[in-house]
Amino acid sequence: MGLPILWLAAAAFTAGPGGGLAASMLPIALRDTGALMACVGLLAGVIGLVAAWLVTHHDFPGRAWFEWLLMLPLAIPTYLAAYCFTELLDFTGPAQTLLRTITGAATAKDYWFPQIRSFPGAVLVFSLVLYPYAYAACRAFFLMQSGTAHAAARTLGAGGWRTFLAITLPVSRPALVVGATLAMMEVVNDLGAVQYFGINSLTAIIYSTWINRSNFGGAAQLAVTIVLVIAVLILAERAARRAEARTGARESRGAARVGLTGGHAILATAACSGLLLVAFGLPIGQLLYLASRQLTVASVSMTTGPLLTTLGLALAGAIVTVTVGLFAAHRGRSRSVAARGAIRIATLGYAIPGTVLALGLLQPLGIADRWINGVTRWAFDWTPGLVLSGSVAALLYVYAIRFLAVSHSTLHEAMDRRGPSMLDAGRVLGSRGLDLFVRVDLPTLAPALAAAATLVFVEIIKELPATLLLRPLGVETLATLVYAKANTALFAEAALPALAIVLAGIVPVILATQLGARRKV
Amino acid sequence: MLHARLVGTLASAALLAGLTVPAFAQSGEVNVYSYREPGLIQPLLDVFTAETGIKTNVLYAGDGLLERVESEGEFSPVDVVLTVDIGNLTGAKDKGLSQPITTAAIERVPAELRDTDSDWVALSLRARVFYVSKDRVDATALTYEDIAKPEWKGRLCTRAGDHAYNIGLIASRIELWGLDKTREWLTAVRDNLAYPPTGGDREGPKNILAGTCDLSITNTYYMGVMLNNEAEPEQKDWANSARIIYPTSEDGDGTQVNAAGAFIAKYAPNVENANKLIEFLLSDEAQRLYADANYEFPAVPSVSPSELTLSWGQLVPSKVSLVEIAAHRAEAAALVDELQFNAGAQN
Repeated sequence: MGLPILWLAAAAFTAGPGGGLAASMLPIALRDTGALMACVGLLAGVIGLVAAWLVTHHDFPGRAWFEWLLMLPLAIPTYLAAYCFTELLDFTGPAQTLLRTITGAATAKDYWFPQIRSFPGAVLVFSLVLYPYAYAACRAFFLMQSGTAHAAARTLGAGGWRTFLAITLPVSRPALVVGATLAMMEVVNDLGAVQYFGINSLTAIIYSTWINRSNFGGAAQLAVTIVLVIAVLILAERAARRAEARTGARESRGAARVGLTGGHAILATAACSGLLLVAFGLPIGQLLYLASRQLTVASVSMTTGPLLTTLGLALAGAIVTVTVGLFAAHRGRSRSVAARGAIRIATLGYAIPGTVLALGLLQPLGIADRWINGVTRWAFDWTPGLVLSGSVAALLYVYAIRFLAVSHSTLHEAMDRRGPSMLDAGRVLGSRGLDLFVRVDLPTLAPALAAAATLVFVEIIKELPATLLLRPLGVETLATLVYAKANTALFAEAALPALAIVLAGIVPVILATQLGARRKV
Repeated sequence: MLHARLVGTLASAALLAGLTVPAFAQSGEVNVYSYREPGLIQPLLDVFTAETGIKTNVLYAGDGLLERVESEGEFSPVDVVLTVDIGNLTGAKDKGLSQPITTAAIERVPAELRDTDSDWVALSLRARVFYVSKDRVDATALTYEDIAKPEWKGRLCTRAGDHAYNIGLIASRIELWGLDKTREWLTAVRDNLAYPPTGGDREGPKNILAGTCDLSITNTYYMGVMLNNEAEPEQKDWANSARIIYPTSEDGDGTQVNAAGAFIAKYAPNVENANKLIEFLLSDEAQRLYADANYEFPAVPSVSPSELTLSWGQLVPSKVSLVEIAAHRAEAAALVDELQFNAGAQN
């Protein structure tokens, strides 16, 4: 699991002092990446927190629907969101066209309109599709939390907002940090959107060091820098989770919901629908419009093949990744410092941009393949070819590395929450080893396994850069198809497969939240 | 029950993995890694298959294919790699990833557009030119030196400086002017940028329409591609807001030209078919498709560019050769880094 990171680290150290890009752009890259992370973490965190607070602590028209609907933007990959919002808000988009029609202006110099392809534009786009991370973390936390503190606050006469500021905000800080950290990791990982917005983030710089300068060593050095940045984030997230475990009460009833009436109810409903409309409705509407404009037998048949491939890959990848995650979560409970350290390194994969991960895997997989073929040629006078680097195995491997953190942290948390009593009970009843695992471990973890598999499934459907580089000849996924189309400024033709990505991602999101809702009762 | 289901899904996953590892070295096939977008290449390959019966398997990726060929080594399934820039062609030869092309058709291309050992060949040419606003620019002729002048302050736009297309342009300036003059020029160009480099080559004309840019450095064929874009007719407006000027150099040198081309992989399993494919791509029929469907300049001189392409004016190519451009790529990239070109204007 740690192979690509170790490979890159070795390459970084053997490459010698970094010149060129690394030296000249690193300060800008660090500044831009840091600022982007901070702003997105803050904005996505605030949006997610407020949304979660609204749906868990209050009752208002549509609340039960919003509870899961608000997760939907997670199904939109950041690169897709960047494309959609640019199409909408750019000079030639409907917003500015309408404005020109009204004002009679001819060029962008005649009126003021915020430039979507800018730093603030990127913050907005990222936050709108990444806030569900914060929302999910905060909502889960609120549902687990005892309602006593809130009840006490209300008894003492504090109103909704005051309770929010005095109780909810401080208490939910750990959950907020968890959610915001996940969102920030996505920011660091993104390549498509930052390239599109022309932001010199670390990932973009790594990419151009490798691609435009053929400087593998330099790219590896930058990649190691990014891993260090992420390591800090992961430590923050872990610390936050520990704090969450302390503040989360054992009683899992959740706070009683306060019924909102009149203006407040309208306000809450409007806030949730407004958020949903902007973060999900607009991009989806845009894709629907473009797809319908182009809906032909050809465009549908062009999409079905990659759709099936994508679903198959995502399913296989989810199974592999969750299995490895389960194993890691088990190992992680051991007291051995080495084991825990190893898992920490393994879960760092989430931090590394897909491109860099693919980069770190290409060489070792190629070497392994040459070695395998050498052995089989010697033994049987037969060579199987590229069994690792030229097959789906490479993709499943990179998915497992990339998304291990997602499955591991979900399972790890579930194990924490379950506590040792279940397993102890099993042991008392004489169950051991595999029997204990199958009869006690798996059933009690089933919801978490389903949740982890769902998250990984969605992530794989959205994954672009690693798939692009490691897929075998002839394998086309929805993401690579969209990339190929959008890359040639034929975004309209990419609308249908893009829509398929979002839809394929939505189903598991709904399933998971529905499942979670049922478990809670 | 849960693990019964798990076993079931694992089995289907294994099946899926098995199914998607095809055998490649069969006769009647040719495997292509393409930097070029499928939109242009697929129609050509379809004609090739229809005429020869040879099936094509294509892997398209905008980046990183050379690195992939390198790591796959002797077991790589790839036969032909199609590139959009001279850098990847000479790069492949330098890294020992290519083998000589043996089809006689390569002779159809002028010597300066192919490798001395026949390790690569250009298939089509594109010029890096100026798109200027029809409304706000009066000049009918401009030099590369002109856009460094203060009158263009806040009026220029282009894509990222380290993109292969701009690297090619800067590398050709280094060959022509030397490093110091090029650094001075690029600094001034950077400081004339209207906004930090973003997007692809079509962003320029789009921003000319928007009024946020008056002169965009863009490849020639985008004009034709946008003018004829039925999928996104909005792009016709972008193209119509601008006209093309073929820039020259003050010393009389012409317009910078780059090549899209092909090489045959060193370990190609279907060498014969690979040569047939290249032979086809250099045929009059295929060259006409390059000219008429993608508005490029054919690499075979006897095939003329499309009417539309000719309507933009007369291309007088720079005397800087493809190989010379490739030789200065590293210096060009270092210059882009040193000047922080991608961060936009600084003065």
